[in-house]
Amino acid sequence: MRRDVFHALADPNRRAIIGLLANQKLSVKAVAEHFPISRPAISRHVRILAECGLVVVHQKGRQRICEARLDKLEEVSSWIEQQQKTWEGRLDRLDEYLNELKTKERK
Amino acid sequence: MIGETESTQRSAPSELLITRVFDAPRQLVWKAWTDPQHFMRWWGPKDYTSPFSEIDLRVGGRYLNCMRSPDGRDYWTTGTYQEIIPFEKIVYTDSFADEQGNAVSAAYYGMTPDFPLETLVTVTFEDQDGKTRMTLRHTDLPAGEMSEQTGAGWNESFDKLAESLP
Repeated sequence: MRRDVFHALADPNRRAIIGLLANQKLSVKAVAEHFPISRPAISRHVRILAECGLVVVHQKGRQRICEARLDKLEEVSSWIEQQQKTWEGRLDRLDEYLNELKTKERK
Repeated sequence: MIGETESTQRSAPSELLITRVFDAPRQLVWKAWTDPQHFMRWWGPKDYTSPFSEIDLRVGGRYLNCMRSPDGRDYWTTGTYQEIIPFEKIVYTDSFADEQGNAVSAAYYGMTPDFPLETLVTVTFEDQDGKTRMTLRHTDLPAGEMSEQTGAGWNESFDKLAESLP
């Protein structure tokens, strides 16, 4: 099973949890109150987010407090930036090549 | 003339969407994408070359392509065709590979091992005023994890995330 930020973000509920935690720390219980799915299901999502490094969970008394680690999201943008650069470069060359082909076909 | 990219946007944080209009008929653009002899002529950014391309263009068929950097480093990629509609659409998985065509992690090429092992590329071709409009969608989600449900709410939840960031 993949345990990285890409895997973490593959699920809409986990994306919503990250969105919720982006500007506030919340207990697992408080997070669960925002979702129509069961608390064990939320706990499982939080655990996956923690394993992927996007959330840190602290024990505070009887509560488990979740805190988002948004710097991990940079891995995703770095992947996109790299892909974008490569594709733009290839497509520039595709454009040049198509013009070359067209000219040849006209001859 | 270099074709201008009409739009490049991040429709979702792990998805790249590029639209370009090429001043060429659709059949020609399709040929450039699917015939190895043509494909090798452009598969790589400026100053790169492509010394090898093998394309088995059928659903379930594999490809193996090589892109060579100006300093002589080879980058192999492989994958499987998921969907093919002639002259309209190609969907394929994309992974880094070794030269035998075995999928490898990005770490094999000195990139972060956190990059996804397999990603999905969807290319569509449409006529537009005698030109060809090509849309390329590259998502980090492997084919197996793609579903309607995954797509729904993606933008919405990230819009929310963007708003909530300081």
